[in-house]
Amino acid sequence: MREAVIVEAVRSAGGRSKRGGLAATRSDEIGIQVIKGLLARVPQLDPADVDDLICGCAFPEGEQGMQMGKILAVGAGLPESASGMTINRFCSSGVQSIADATAKINMGWSDVIIAGGCESMSHIPMGGSIMRPNVDWPSDAPWVYISMGMTAENIAANYKISREDMDAMGMESNRRAYEAIKAGKFKGEIIPINAFKYKTTKSGKRIRETFVFDTDDGVRWPVSLADMAKLKSPFAAGGSCTAANSSQTTDGAGFALVMTAEKAKAIGVKPLAKLTNYAVAGCKPEEMGVGPKYAIPKVLKQAGLTTKDIDLFEINEAFAAQALYCIREIGIEDRLKSGDINPNGGAIALGHPLGASGAKLTAQLLHEMKRRKAKRGIVSMCIGGGMGAAAIFEML
Amino acid sequence: MSYAIKKAAVLGAGVMGATIAAHLTNAGIECCLLDIVPFELTEADKKKGLTEQSPAWRNRFAAAGLAGVTKSKPASFFTKKNASMIKIGNFEDNLGWLADVDWICEVVIENLKIKQELFAKVEKIVKPTCIISTNTSGIPIKDISANFSASLKERFLGTHFFNPPRYMKLLEIIPGKETKKDIVDYMVSFSEERLGKGVVICKDVPNFIGNRIGTYDLTNAIRIMVEKKMKIDEVDAIISKAVGRPGTAIFGTLDLVGLDTGYHVMKNLYEAVKDDESRDVFIPVDFLSKMMENKWLGNKTKQGFYKKTKDDKGKTVKMVLDYNTMEYIPAGKPKFDSLSEAKKKGEEGVGAMARSLFNGNDAAADLIREYFCNNFIYAANRVPEICDNIVAVDNAMKWGYNHQLGPFELWDAVGVKDVVAVMKKLEKKVPKKIEEMLKAGCESFYVKKKDGLYCYDFAAKDYVKIEDNQKIILLPALKDREKVIKSNESATLVDIGDGVACLEFHTKMNAVDDGLVEMIFTGCDIVEKDFAGMVVGNHAANFSAGANIFKILVACQGGQWDVLAKLSSEFQNANMRMKYLSTPVVTAPAGLTLGGGCEMAMHGAKCQPCGETYMGLVEVGVGVIPGGGGCKEIALRLTEGIPTGAIEAGLNIQQYYTKAFENIALAKVSTSAVEAMDLGYIRKTENISMNRDQQLWDAKQLVLGMSRFYKAPRPAMIPVMGENFRGLIEAALYNMKAGNYISEYDVHVARKVAYILSGGDCPEGTYVSEQELLDLEREAFLSLCGEQKTQDRITHMLTTGKPLRN
Repeated sequence: MREAVIVEAVRSAGGRSKRGGLAATRSDEIGIQVIKGLLARVPQLDPADVDDLICGCAFPEGEQGMQMGKILAVGAGLPESASGMTINRFCSSGVQSIADATAKINMGWSDVIIAGGCESMSHIPMGGSIMRPNVDWPSDAPWVYISMGMTAENIAANYKISREDMDAMGMESNRRAYEAIKAGKFKGEIIPINAFKYKTTKSGKRIRETFVFDTDDGVRWPVSLADMAKLKSPFAAGGSCTAANSSQTTDGAGFALVMTAEKAKAIGVKPLAKLTNYAVAGCKPEEMGVGPKYAIPKVLKQAGLTTKDIDLFEINEAFAAQALYCIREIGIEDRLKSGDINPNGGAIALGHPLGASGAKLTAQLLHEMKRRKAKRGIVSMCIGGGMGAAAIFEML
Repeated sequence: MSYAIKKAAVLGAGVMGATIAAHLTNAGIECCLLDIVPFELTEADKKKGLTEQSPAWRNRFAAAGLAGVTKSKPASFFTKKNASMIKIGNFEDNLGWLADVDWICEVVIENLKIKQELFAKVEKIVKPTCIISTNTSGIPIKDISANFSASLKERFLGTHFFNPPRYMKLLEIIPGKETKKDIVDYMVSFSEERLGKGVVICKDVPNFIGNRIGTYDLTNAIRIMVEKKMKIDEVDAIISKAVGRPGTAIFGTLDLVGLDTGYHVMKNLYEAVKDDESRDVFIPVDFLSKMMENKWLGNKTKQGFYKKTKDDKGKTVKMVLDYNTMEYIPAGKPKFDSLSEAKKKGEEGVGAMARSLFNGNDAAADLIREYFCNNFIYAANRVPEICDNIVAVDNAMKWGYNHQLGPFELWDAVGVKDVVAVMKKLEKKVPKKIEEMLKAGCESFYVKKKDGLYCYDFAAKDYVKIEDNQKIILLPALKDREKVIKSNESATLVDIGDGVACLEFHTKMNAVDDGLVEMIFTGCDIVEKDFAGMVVGNHAANFSAGANIFKILVACQGGQWDVLAKLSSEFQNANMRMKYLSTPVVTAPAGLTLGGGCEMAMHGAKCQPCGETYMGLVEVGVGVIPGGGGCKEIALRLTEGIPTGAIEAGLNIQQYYTKAFENIALAKVSTSAVEAMDLGYIRKTENISMNRDQQLWDAKQLVLGMSRFYKAPRPAMIPVMGENFRGLIEAALYNMKAGNYISEYDVHVARKVAYILSGGDCPEGTYVSEQELLDLEREAFLSLCGEQKTQDRITHMLTTGKPLRN
């Protein structure tokens, strides 16, 4: 039987949207550079053998519109024989594309695919530039247009997730990320980006400069719970979800190289891991953050495993409210404390570049598992509109 | 020699310096703001890596001044963007900047030596035409300029602003002995026209006019209180709005200003005015000194004459100082028969109330008699010591201390003769010049004659005409002079000369009612036939605070839908009539320009706003929507600049309409005319009048300028988003409702706003006529009027003055 394997998974560092290191760099540019970096790590592969490129993107418009999959393929120097496509399942797009690549390869429809995601939240607003909710949508129907922050407030209120617990999670996320960066843990997975910045020279001329961006810049450390407690919710009057316990809006990209095990063997590269199972599960739009609560058990059942069989989790911290709720519901809060979940910090500290996050978390998970010599890991996240996704990876 | 101030410098970046600089930017004048270099690097500075060369350290005081003024409340800037017009620096590195400024205003610490040393340096740098002034409030101008060259003395004068300079109208100008007359004249007209100030010319005497008379006024009140063993809250209840004083009265004002400031002025004055017959009044009474020791300085130390505490239930309680025991006791609501009697005369004005109180017979009236007599005598004795005429004293107190009437006007109101009789009864020393005046048969300080207003002049011993400023068009004066073209109870059309008519409102708060709307039609008919154009404006504090909601409520409750429908359509039609009149209509909004007032102000051919214009469509506060063309006009204004063809080529106009929606649904009100431009209520190409008194003149010039080549505008077609806009707003309202920011009924009202702005049931990219949007407005207005919750909102506003969130 054909088996798809992941040869390498890499990412750009996350840049805070609008104010961070990638704010002036186009989304496609970030993607192209990450893909070039990925290919450079596998020099044994002839680029002519890549037959498709799948790019996840949550708001495929503007600079990440048109056919970004093919644009990235051409931009990264793949020959014209390479195809490309863009897919969108909001926040899981980056891992959805790796799952789709795996499935295609397993089916025998492709041999080598580059899959991941790309998002500039600096340039494309959440909701898109031309949001057009359906005026006839009944106001008592499931509210598919709800703001993400409001869904988090709903979870905090409906399932009694305390502000203190959320802030503590936000603080721990930042601490772990700070420690991880200090220890240089992300160096292996990050492709440095030649990023742009615009400046005005002393003579008043506006110029573009290039600099190397290679470190996640959203981490806030040290922080104090007292300072965090002062923040107000921007989502609801008297709400408890704040900038300190919610993910950051971020620019970034992540891509993985997926191919058949035979191809890897033929060109002489050792596979890193394989995606063995993948599941998505739907839930209420108004509580979209509960998604992983359903997706993780679903994927485990599919694989015939339990949480005990999973060594490491990357669960996207869209909001501490939803991440904590899901972790508690699945019964793995002890694993969060012991460092088997988001050991190097999560999206509250490292950012959440929507369509890129799934690939970014995959890169983080696989490289951490390699360090730990772990066997199985899960990447999971909630998805706007009311869904959750979860993927099981096994190290090879 | 002609002067033109285009660039200025303010030396000293304390509160006064920074706020003066801010106001200069409001007038469109670029300025630099300089202060001293800090004395030494602190440990904290060193930690931050600052050195004695760092600009951040060297410019610290000026930077702090600019930062403070950017945050000040009420706002010092018309718009925060003005901050970029201020360049900050310090006296050591940046005095070179003074070489090309046209005016330098010095506002450094009140220390003669420091001022003299600074000016010695400045003198070497400035250009020969630069005007130089000091904002000193206590140091004689002649002392500061003692060592100046002859040329500098000619260009030096005092310009004493009152705090906060943007809002306080008074500017005292103090010419030195050698100051050239053309410089004084220029500074007067510059200050009036460009800075919008009311100028009084003072002599170079201690604390000039405002603070001399004002401090006497306060200390006089305090001394009488102590003599008569009255309480602080009693005095504030008596010397109050009933006699034309601001709501903070005597002690509330001192708490606001800070006792330390008042206390030092008293002490300084006592030392400085050795020949003043009443100088002993300036010795602070004992309890003031105790308060100084206790640092009970007023609002800034959270306690002064008053203090706010919370009771067991957490309710705020106002406490007042008992100056005998120096303890705070709950403030009462003092009642006096004479005061209640006086307040009944409120309709007749402040003068009538003051006269009534003065003639009462209880403790309050006793206090007022004593207080008025002393004040009047003191003021009379100060002319010509501090200024040449009584008008300057009256203006200073009105403009600098917010008194509704100055001492001589108040004296007139109570009756000069009657007051003198009381003075004699109280064994006061009546000034000789007053006796002479009465003997000569002059029984009031001011008289109106056919050709204008006259005031009594002590030197001439006769009335002299108060010179008209041609740039001040006084509508009541014109009305007196039979320039009325047409009038009803709500509004009057006045001929303001040169073929221009002015439509003046005069309802309470200039609220829109039937009569006012009728007068718009009548005015337009007459103007179209006989005039070059029309100004819509008035002298009241507020252009128009909106519709008369009481009348709307009555009609709602009576189910008079036809009346309401007519009200809305007539008002819409009146506004459209003004907008499309064949002769130009210029609206002149100022002060509150809300709801219906905003709608009228938006429906001229052009607008000539006053800088202090607080404009907005606030109807949702009372549960209705702008139904007089406001929704229509803001939609039109925000989209009128879109290049032809841009929408067809794919321009997304959602942000234009989101902004229009937010303006109305959040009832946004501008804090200045510039902000009103940012909100879209006034076109950015309009000019702003800085001086409220000259605004009608400015508007008239605009009418005259336009009338020569005027063509009425072509009816507009407005691009709308149709149902797509409503879908967008529906999604936003869902989140705001879910987040508990708005109530169910807020959503209901907001949906109506969205419906109007969407243009109705049509696809995105449709162009609708003005009338179509007006019809949607009217429909929404009527449907909301029929809602109980809207009626509840109106009732609540009428009874409490505050919006109800139901």
